[in-house]
Amino acid sequence: MSITEIGKRFTFKTQFEAELEEAAADYQRIQPSLNSLAPSISVPPISQPTAFLRAHTDHDSNPDCKIKMAHGTTTLAFRFQGGIIVAVDSRATAGNWIASQTVKKVIEINPMLLGTMAGTACDCQYWETWLGTQCRLHELRNKERISVCAASKILCNLVYSYKGMGLGMGTMICGYTPKEGPTIYYVDSDGTRLKGDMFCVGSGQTFAYGVLDTNYKWDLSVEDALYLGKRAILAAAHRDAYSGGSINLYHVTENGWVFHGNHDVGPLFWEIKEKEKSFNNVEA
Amino acid sequence: MSRRYDSRTTIFSPEGRLYQVEYALEAINHAGTAIGVMAKDGVVLAAERKVTSKLLEQDTSAEKMYVLNDKTVCAVAGMTADAGILINSIRYSAQQYLKTYGEDIPIETLVKRICDVKQGYTQHGGLRPFGVSFIFAGHDERYGFQLYTSNPSGNYSGWKATSIGANNTSAQTLLKQDYKDGMTLEEAQNLALKVLSKTTDSNKLTSEKVEFSTIGLDADGKLQLRIWTPEQIEKLLKESGVLTRDEEGEES
Amino acid sequence: MDIILGIRVKDSVIVATSKAFTRGISVLKDTDDKTRVLNQYNLLAFTGESGDTTQFADYIQANIQLFTMRENTELNSKAIASFVRQQLATSIRSRTPYQVQVLLGGLHNGSEPFLSLIDYLGTRVDLPYCAHGYAAFYTMSLLDHHYKPDMALDEGLKLLKLCHQELVKRMPIEFKGLYVKVIDKDGIRDIDFS
Repeated sequence: MSITEIGKRFTFKTQFEAELEEAAADYQRIQPSLNSLAPSISVPPISQPTAFLRAHTDHDSNPDCKIKMAHGTTTLAFRFQGGIIVAVDSRATAGNWIASQTVKKVIEINPMLLGTMAGTACDCQYWETWLGTQCRLHELRNKERISVCAASKILCNLVYSYKGMGLGMGTMICGYTPKEGPTIYYVDSDGTRLKGDMFCVGSGQTFAYGVLDTNYKWDLSVEDALYLGKRAILAAAHRDAYSGGSINLYHVTENGWVFHGNHDVGPLFWEIKEKEKSFNNVEA
Repeated sequence: MSRRYDSRTTIFSPEGRLYQVEYALEAINHAGTAIGVMAKDGVVLAAERKVTSKLLEQDTSAEKMYVLNDKTVCAVAGMTADAGILINSIRYSAQQYLKTYGEDIPIETLVKRICDVKQGYTQHGGLRPFGVSFIFAGHDERYGFQLYTSNPSGNYSGWKATSIGANNTSAQTLLKQDYKDGMTLEEAQNLALKVLSKTTDSNKLTSEKVEFSTIGLDADGKLQLRIWTPEQIEKLLKESGVLTRDEEGEES
Repeated sequence: MDIILGIRVKDSVIVATSKAFTRGISVLKDTDDKTRVLNQYNLLAFTGESGDTTQFADYIQANIQLFTMRENTELNSKAIASFVRQQLATSIRSRTPYQVQVLLGGLHNGSEPFLSLIDYLGTRVDLPYCAHGYAAFYTMSLLDHHYKPDMALDEGLKLLKLCHQELVKRMPIEFKGLYVKVIDKDGIRDIDFS
């Protein structure tokens, strides 16, 4: 016999409850019992929270799933002679549905640090703004701006502590500090943290890598680098159904980040096709 | 005046003293003497057992000597019951270290762990410090044979020869006079017995008043650790000539 | 898919790890070092679930260094292997086990070459040569064939070269080359291996 069943056989009233019951008799009958005193915690009724989450949110394995998570992205960041270029698309999809074409996928953590957002939008947005608070606290405590290395490690340790519980984020923490120079760290919800010169993250990453790898040089001018970033995202927006909308461009220098505009993929595509004489599979 | 400050271990007196810890140290100064002497090929521990009554059943097993692990023995001065708690915890700790690292705990690490426990009891409120001092004798890869003492405050130190308990100052003086570097284990045994016989309050040293243990190497160079039986001690007392010399001294 | 390989030769130990960091279908990094230096004579190479690997290796590294600070003595190779195994054996019985396989190479007490293979279940074997993952399928036969316990370092490196060539030829996945490290009486050093 379970404790709950045993509990059901006994009822228990305090004087207060008795008075309350009397007072509420006109409205409804309350049956306090030991049952309601047993502590309980709400958890999915399976051993693996991730399996539960997947069953209800993964569109690929279960097209009938009730919750469609915002997924599908192309984001990139690369280091070059003039700092860092960060470029992202702006489409949010939930299953096959385009939920938004105007998502801000670059999170301005503080005037010196940028975070990109791929994967589950809510996780990225929440934890990267949280990271902003941690970075500010670091500044107040240490009278010094946080290094990109440390900031990315804070986020990495945080997501690692939630490993296996369904967080889904792939992010790049980009910044410039006097001791590190321009620096990019890739952090994802597995707990991976990699320092590198170039990363593309999201469903369109392969398309972006293609353009970026072939045209990338360390000595790129700022103008060329901005164009390359934009062009790589455009390539992904063109080929990846889950990427599109518009392109947000950022340039990170020793003085912090500078926003270089929002570029709608629609007109931009025709403009670049015309200029480069590329995208010849598409008729004008 | 000091009444206000000596009832709690956690409170300093205005002179900056911890009376409870000092009382514990004092208590040990009345306990049976224990002596440790290091030789080039081993370590000797000798302790005096205080016989409180003729009617008391003389427990033949060791009361003040304890094996902590395969490579360490210790001698106790002070409250044996307190020592029991510490010895139990350090035996456990030594086994845990062996399980984790696959090798015996280094002697100093072991001593340090006991001392961490002792120190904790001088600081946390409402608790009495452990009324025990130890002499540890052991052997490890790093420093070979070693001898340490620890006291209720949680301090520890390494020695060539030392003593704790009653008359420890006079024992220490005698040791300082007669200790020579590079003694053999046998010479160290004799020295320990000699010092013990001179510092004892009773006029004659007998096997039932002495506890004895040694760490040394056997013929194969393997570490040998033993707590001596009363028969072995009896034999040693006779052979060493410590007693006869004393008796002669009294006669002349 | 990561490669980690170890060969114990006469007076030294060779440890090789692949440079590629792969996630999904992309190689995110081709200069990823899957090793941690624990102290002067001990090196830990690791593979397994991403995230767990680096967290576990950092944890071990930090604890070995903490021990050295506290006790003012370096842990020897066998004690480290024992410690790592104990940690993994504890972890597998927890709610969130580390899914990590490691290979510990070092000089026991600064003189005796030592190589140990430990998996996520806490199985430890001390071996003359070993590999984790798919690399083992391609290289163990080669090592079984050519390995001699009294090999000199350069012979060991030649044997590793054979293993590398076979991996390049037959592995379906690009691993971007190997980082090769040698532990000998002078400590740990990188070997140019191209």
